[in-house]
Amino acid sequence: MHDETRERSPFVPTIQVGREVPDFRLETYDPKAEGFGELRLSELCQQGKWTILFFYPADFTFV
Amino acid sequence: MGAEIVTVSCDTKFVHLAWRTIEGELEDVRYRMGADPTGHVARLFGVYVEEEGIALRGAFLISPQRVLMNAEINYLNMGRNIEELMRKFKANIYLARQSDQALPAKWKQEGDLTLTPSARMVGKVRQYLERQQRPDRTTSDGD
Repeated sequence: MHDETRERSPFVPTIQVGREVPDFRLETYDPKAEGFGELRLSELCQQGKWTILFFYPADFTFV
Repeated sequence: MGAEIVTVSCDTKFVHLAWRTIEGELEDVRYRMGADPTGHVARLFGVYVEEEGIALRGAFLISPQRVLMNAEINYLNMGRNIEELMRKFKANIYLARQSDQALPAKWKQEGDLTLTPSARMVGKVRQYLERQQRPDRTTSDGD
């Protein structure tokens, strides 16, 4: 691997339970609209919504 | 349930479209599928696997005040328990409305037993819980 000799920097989490989350933007595919879009965390919060972010490794996999 | 569910992987939005269209198991998916190909959001939440360019199985609950209220991260091949995620979500919504309450470990849904922390309950939680379980309990404040 080309970066074998490079030291991995220590893991520094940027979020913490109980603390405010920085705003972020994500492009999306919206199955309801059958189209592409964009979302911003700050917009969802302004709409008074709770947000559940659900990460997973990759599309076309199994679990 | 009043929550915005957003799934996120490091695939592009085009792959999301293709997967949703092709895979029968995803037919009923109505929530938005977030695309994070640069990994910037996955890194923000501490779930980016640098060596492979994919995300760990993290689930995060964020309040309307933009506070992170719950985080759960499983390693790659272990699925998350959706019932438990929903329980935690309901618990947080409930506590946002009833901030003087505490929810015991066995709490599952509104109507289940809760605690109201107070100085009088210190060291007496077991007595309180046992009194609440008895069918002849009164409707006093219990502590």
